[in-house]
Amino acid sequence: MQPILKINLTTAQTEEYIVPERWTRDFLGGASLAARILYEYLTPDLDPLSPEAPLLFMTGPLTGTSGPTTGRFVICGKSPATGLWAESNIGGFWGPELRKAGYDGLWITGKASEPVVLWLNGNRLEVRPAAHLWGMETYTAQEKVKEEIGVKSARVCVIGPAGERGVLFASIMCDHGRMAGRTGLGAVMGSKNLKAVAVHGEGEIPVFDLARYKVLRSEANRKLREDNEAKVLRELGTASAANYAEYLGAMPVKYFSRGSFPAVDEVSGAKMTESILVGQSACQGCVIACGRVVKLPGESVKRKGPEHETMVGFGANLLNDNLPSIVALGELCDRYGMDTISTSNTIGLAFSLYEKGVITKEDTGGIELNWGDVNAIEQLVRLTASRQGFGDLLALGSKRFGAHFGAEEEAVQVNGLEVAYHDPRGVSGMALSYATSPRGACHNQSDYFFVDWGHSREEIGIEFMDRHAQAEKAANVARHQNWRSVDNALVTCIFANVGALEKADLINAACGLDWSVAELMRFGERSWNLKRAINNRMGLTARNDILPKALLTPMPDGGSAGFVPDIEGMLFAYYAVRGWDEATGKPTREKLTDLGLEDVARDLWG
Amino acid sequence: MAAVFPSKEWLEALETRLNSDERYAEIAKNWEGDLFFFIEPEGNLKERLTFYLDLWHGACRKVEYQPAPDSHPNPTFTLTASYNNITAILSGKLNPMTAMMTSKLKVKGSMGYMMRNVPTVLDFVRVAQEVTKEIL
Repeated sequence: MQPILKINLTTAQTEEYIVPERWTRDFLGGASLAARILYEYLTPDLDPLSPEAPLLFMTGPLTGTSGPTTGRFVICGKSPATGLWAESNIGGFWGPELRKAGYDGLWITGKASEPVVLWLNGNRLEVRPAAHLWGMETYTAQEKVKEEIGVKSARVCVIGPAGERGVLFASIMCDHGRMAGRTGLGAVMGSKNLKAVAVHGEGEIPVFDLARYKVLRSEANRKLREDNEAKVLRELGTASAANYAEYLGAMPVKYFSRGSFPAVDEVSGAKMTESILVGQSACQGCVIACGRVVKLPGESVKRKGPEHETMVGFGANLLNDNLPSIVALGELCDRYGMDTISTSNTIGLAFSLYEKGVITKEDTGGIELNWGDVNAIEQLVRLTASRQGFGDLLALGSKRFGAHFGAEEEAVQVNGLEVAYHDPRGVSGMALSYATSPRGACHNQSDYFFVDWGHSREEIGIEFMDRHAQAEKAANVARHQNWRSVDNALVTCIFANVGALEKADLINAACGLDWSVAELMRFGERSWNLKRAINNRMGLTARNDILPKALLTPMPDGGSAGFVPDIEGMLFAYYAVRGWDEATGKPTREKLTDLGLEDVARDLWG
Repeated sequence: MAAVFPSKEWLEALETRLNSDERYAEIAKNWEGDLFFFIEPEGNLKERLTFYLDLWHGACRKVEYQPAPDSHPNPTFTLTASYNNITAILSGKLNPMTAMMTSKLKVKGSMGYMMRNVPTVLDFVRVAQEVTKEIL
């Protein structure tokens, strides 16, 4: 494994950190290795926005090797929104470039005295003044950085004004609108006065058995090109299943209060393809190309088209059926550097409370919040990013925003992370996903909605079950979470339909291991439990594994009208499967020891 | 009227049923597209089977049993699956979306159109299941 470059922005000191070999073997890379490295630093009293807070950009052992969707990396730390483990998976080309520069990670602490840009060119690091870039939106800042360092092929991670101002769901962007959206790590970066990190490298990325890896990679990519899901994603983007999700009653409508959206045809991946799509974009080495390139009517400029979350968040969630406006709102969030899920969710809460009379025009500064009013939505996005007036409250996220108005229970969030746009009343596996994910209401750990839609994985014991099955699904969900922990370590994309045996073969060839599928899944389980233990140390208990009121209220209409997940029954079964202590929510000593986490067991249990 | 799968009688029963099922007619009222099926030999099926169906606005305009593989050069969808997977769908043991998402059913055609019309796809399968009296 290549070293991780540690940078202290306060002192400008750097150090090459060599990961212990045992950790490389047991945690591989990406979010799993980041969790192991940061375990001792993520303490209950650590302020995520303090100089002491770490920000770790981690690649995985497959990053940059042109394997199936292996262009990604992950950013980890402590979330200012949740106070828990933060990880945000991001595509583009930055991760591979870091590896070509000779590093597998960038570990940043401290705080610069003035805004800076870090410029890593091979093994030469430069700390460049960036006061003139502070306040600049992301796309412009990114190009300005590249222009100033004079290396066009450099890749840049950047924050926007939202991160600079500490919006609790600020994101980090790289390349053509690829975002590390969730958990507010953009605010962590902003708290360090760090505007951007530019990297360039020309080295070879190490692969243990390159000849074998090339054969496996070629076959995996060939199969992925022909995969049905990949074809759907290439043709329609990730908003491809809008009609299906709406049909099932799994698409949140009007801030999770309804299950039917008759206008779905106007705001779907299919509609985008038929009306405004002009091209696709892909992360490094990816054969799927789910990214959308669009042109709005009457315009010649190309823009990034929305993915599923943005499409629903600024669409059905707010009763908006105007596709061009969703493109514009998504881009606005990207330019300000804000997570579209949390932004749209928090705005949805504002609209909901306004309708109920809890919020008035006096609170909103005169803006009327009528469902579907794009002008009002845009105003709230801008106010949030600037933290002005009403926006200063929105910038705190839905939980704190709701609490300010005495309506915290109305916020559709878990542990301070806003729920994404796959309704567990339509796809019940998401009830456990949202309640137990290490970073709050995460729709990617696991993306069990895919399984509930039909994508079973029998080779790892995940058979298809009815989308409204409940406690009987717990073991499946746990296995799927373990499976996704593998992807978050490698770091690969959840859209790549690569089989478990194939994945094990790729890892073995890249890393010099000899893992079976069973060992792969055990590794995933270890990663999951480590992140859980990090959260337990930071105060998470069984009481945190809950769903918000809205998701436990039956919908009046749509394909899942009347259904509510039995979250207590599901959690009871889930804890049993996981080997977690019911009273405390901690993995038992036996479970941790069995997974090789003896030191963690001592920390949690004495 | 149900029939044994696979057979010409089964395909004709499917055609009759698609043209008389009110629920299908409503759900599929906007569907425009013909389907060419390749069912690959496996298990009890020793030779490849082909089916053709022309589906239009909630009705089935035409079926053909064992058409020549190149008889319809540009169908809206070409669907290929093994005999065991097709019969698993017909018997309810394999969810059709699972078949598609796990590539047990290979699909050639506009995936966009398919995803936009998932309710039609699912209801077509329902009707096909209901006309299947027995599987060989």
